[in-house]
Amino acid sequence: MTRGQSQNGIKGVDLRSRASLAAVVVALSFGGLAARLWFLQIGQGAVFRDRSEHNRLKTVYIPPPRGVMTDRHGEELVSNRPSFNIEFIREDAPNPSVVLEKLGDVLGIDKAVLAERLEKNRARRQRFEPKVLLKDVSRDVVARVSSNRYALPGVFVSVTPVRRYPYQEMAAHVLGYLREATKAQLEGPLSETFLPGDLAGQYGLELSLERALRGQRGKQQIVVNALGTRVGELASEPVVSGHSLELTIDRGVQEAAEHALEGKRGSVVALDPKTGEILAMVSAPAFNPAIFSGDLSPGDWSHLSAEKRMLNRAIQGTYPPGSVFKVFMEAAILAEKVASPEERVHCPGSYWFKGREYRCHKKSGHGAVNLRSALIQSCDVYFYTMGQRLGVDTIYRYAAAFGFDELTGVELDHEAKGLIPSTEWKRRAFKRAGDQKWYAGETISVSIGQGAVSVTPLQIARALGSVVNGGRVMKPLLVRAINPSNGGVPDRSVGEPVVQRQVPVSDAALALVRSGMVGVVNEPGGTARRAQVDQSFGVMVGGKTGTAQVVGLKRRELATGKEAHQYEDHAWFAGYAPAEDPQIVVVALVEHGGHGGAAAAPVTSEVMNAFFGGRRARLAPSGEASTEHPADSKEGGAR
Amino acid sequence: MIAARTLRKIDWMALALIVCIPLCGLVVLYSAGFHPGGRLLDLAIFEISVTSAPFAKQLLFLGLGIAVMSAAAMIPSDIVRRSAYLIYGIGVILLVGVALFGIVSNGSRRWLPLGVVTIQPAEFVKLGVILAMARMLSEHPPGRGGFSFMGLIRPVLIFLPPMMLVARQPDLGTALVIGWVGATIILFLGVRRRVVVCALLCGALLAVPIWRGLHDYQRQRIISLFNPDLDPRGAGYHINQSKIAVGSGELFGKGFMQGTQTQLEFLPEHTTDFIFSVLAEEWGFVGAGAVLFLYLVLFQRLIMVAARCRDLFATLVVFGITSVLFFHTVVNIGMVMGVLPVVGIPLPLFSYGGSSVLSTMFSLGLVFGLSAQQRGGR
Repeated sequence: MTRGQSQNGIKGVDLRSRASLAAVVVALSFGGLAARLWFLQIGQGAVFRDRSEHNRLKTVYIPPPRGVMTDRHGEELVSNRPSFNIEFIREDAPNPSVVLEKLGDVLGIDKAVLAERLEKNRARRQRFEPKVLLKDVSRDVVARVSSNRYALPGVFVSVTPVRRYPYQEMAAHVLGYLREATKAQLEGPLSETFLPGDLAGQYGLELSLERALRGQRGKQQIVVNALGTRVGELASEPVVSGHSLELTIDRGVQEAAEHALEGKRGSVVALDPKTGEILAMVSAPAFNPAIFSGDLSPGDWSHLSAEKRMLNRAIQGTYPPGSVFKVFMEAAILAEKVASPEERVHCPGSYWFKGREYRCHKKSGHGAVNLRSALIQSCDVYFYTMGQRLGVDTIYRYAAAFGFDELTGVELDHEAKGLIPSTEWKRRAFKRAGDQKWYAGETISVSIGQGAVSVTPLQIARALGSVVNGGRVMKPLLVRAINPSNGGVPDRSVGEPVVQRQVPVSDAALALVRSGMVGVVNEPGGTARRAQVDQSFGVMVGGKTGTAQVVGLKRRELATGKEAHQYEDHAWFAGYAPAEDPQIVVVALVEHGGHGGAAAAPVTSEVMNAFFGGRRARLAPSGEASTEHPADSKEGGAR
Repeated sequence: MIAARTLRKIDWMALALIVCIPLCGLVVLYSAGFHPGGRLLDLAIFEISVTSAPFAKQLLFLGLGIAVMSAAAMIPSDIVRRSAYLIYGIGVILLVGVALFGIVSNGSRRWLPLGVVTIQPAEFVKLGVILAMARMLSEHPPGRGGFSFMGLIRPVLIFLPPMMLVARQPDLGTALVIGWVGATIILFLGVRRRVVVCALLCGALLAVPIWRGLHDYQRQRIISLFNPDLDPRGAGYHINQSKIAVGSGELFGKGFMQGTQTQLEFLPEHTTDFIFSVLAEEWGFVGAGAVLFLYLVLFQRLIMVAARCRDLFATLVVFGITSVLFFHTVVNIGMVMGVLPVVGIPLPLFSYGGSSVLSTMFSLGLVFGLSAQQRGGR
């Protein structure tokens, strides 16, 4: 150590001051680090605390099993089945693109389709969150994916409950269908119960009773690690199954009604006049609600839109009631006493009013008819005459009392209210002063249920129900009870009969009208002999036909071919049975079916046969007839 | 003989800190390396089941480290001085060997296979550069007013070649350390003002070509430093998760073993490079601030030790070692707090890892040995 340096230094360099400088640099550096630490932990601490919680906590939702729907005898009309989806977690695949290609090869699907589904809404996706690539796939697809799972990292099969419809199209318009919740539903009053991608009722009871059917989704707050693997659970809310619905529908009656309308367009409504319970509601042609659980193809859409399959003709179809309206006209005539039951009107085959001829449907005329025979033979001239005596506003008042021109209040959305014209309606509906005046000639059309009069089949059924039950307009019911999923006490309040109105017509008057309706079906010259039911039931049917003109007679006579069918009359029959103690009202409408007695009466007959047949089978000793097999009911319907 | 006089010259404060900081590290490491099921620890001779394997291993490394430190402290300063160029030379030869025959791992060529063992000469080279520069500059100190341009040639020629070799591996972190220690030793001895100005200008001019010369992942790390949210799933992920861990600790931390970022493994490399984030998450500003303070005091003491050395060689070696440790510490902590780029440098005395512990302890042994030994004390 002989280098010539003095202790602690070299010539001219003061190492102590250099060291002090270094110490300052060190101190400043640490000051900087401490400042940064303060900023992160104290300044931004709360923000980062949130982000660390967000990292580790994931909320997992468990979809609630949706309530099932049964008919009035406990037969399942809608239940649930497991559905298989193909899902994909991008983070689990070293190369997502390769996996998609392989999956496409395995299933014979274009890779681009899969890639598009994967990319959809990618920004909202969290790490390790699975994405559904294919919905409700077949077991064959599940098998092919499972057998290739080693070549498909990140791809897995998930199971979710979807709706099962044991009777396919049956009562489709009543039951409705499910589909992913719409934007409106996600933002609507039930928004709290929906998550994007959840299924929600879109139609029928599935829509209107969403709240009861839905149940409550289970919620689990789980702790996950960086790989998205669950390592613990913080809190959970149990899943609550949806309530099941016991409907008023009688599967046997419904089935018979659909069978009777097969190949036709139209509607059948059957209800219990005492309670308003709907036993059958058919709109034909129908759709299969199951097609909505998968991906809809353009072909599916055109199938649905053809013939307005999605239209529930029972509550949305509005048609002129034609002669069925005469039932309610008679009630008005008697209540207003504009004619005695015995007063005879001469029908020469037409009615002249202010120089214009109004034809009766029978060109040769009915001769002298009174209130009862006019209904049995459906004489138009009698009602033209009485219509003039009543005046349109009185007719309106009684029609409204029977529940026309208003919603029935049935538990289904998008109901139509139809129209009964009146002088006030005309003033409201037309803008030009000249059009607002009511002409007496228009009353003539109204008195036979033509002109601007339009009603739904359900309105007819409800109104006829009041004629046969002593004047009570009953709210049509579809749900008898809501059964809580936990086995609690069923809520039967929804199924309580509701008297919406008492019609201002005496019992005696209604009895007279009913006597005419029994004649329509049972007396020689009656227009609906084919509405009778199987003699073995020993049941007498009453009712009224209707043949509603779609266009003027002259135009129809000129039309040919397909156009001619378009102009064919709508066929109605509205009947009830048994005559002395009515238990069922059946209304049938066959679009462009022609004459009511020929086209619609056989339909109600088949429905009533099924009703009485089914009741007999249930009342019979159990050994003799097992009641609930579809085959049995069909037999009953055919008898 | 190591006399009582020698022991008296030891800076007990620094030594206490060198024991205290790793003890804090052990506590944090226990939590960071915790594995609830217990993990089988293979110690070559026997196996034991422990709940925190890194903790147990680190305990062994520290024990070994203290032995290494004591041994290093006993090396006579004369031998250290004489072997300076030899160590440097071996280091450079090893680096050339790595460049020619090295094993590629994780995309860079850092390991040299030597028969039965493979070695990573980076640590060795750092020490070699310090020793060589200390010897060179203690024998040829700069003139009055500090280094001139010509005076800089020799020291720069010492640290630049190994730095370039390491940078080519590529090991940007070690290259920066070598550059840093070379530059700080030179600055410690003083540099003339116009040289400083020129160096700054050169640096500014070289910035663009250096940026171009960086590898893509290196550039990505620097970009993501300034904008970690640009690609939160990619390069910015580590920085983001580390900042979340640090920030969410708030004032008092989430508690021992309660750090969710750590225990649920959102935090990457949490036993090694990101150990400070674990400390900050579980012990909050109070704990992390205290450890920062311990480091600050340690470095102040070490600088003082350097200044008090009797001869320039010892001063420069102690200063160089201090400078390296300081660089490691600041870059590591700056990195986990998102103010410096991710360069993969462990936190000295804190991070888990045998080679880091042993090389640090060896260096500190030299510090104590050189500072305590009287010049010509034999």
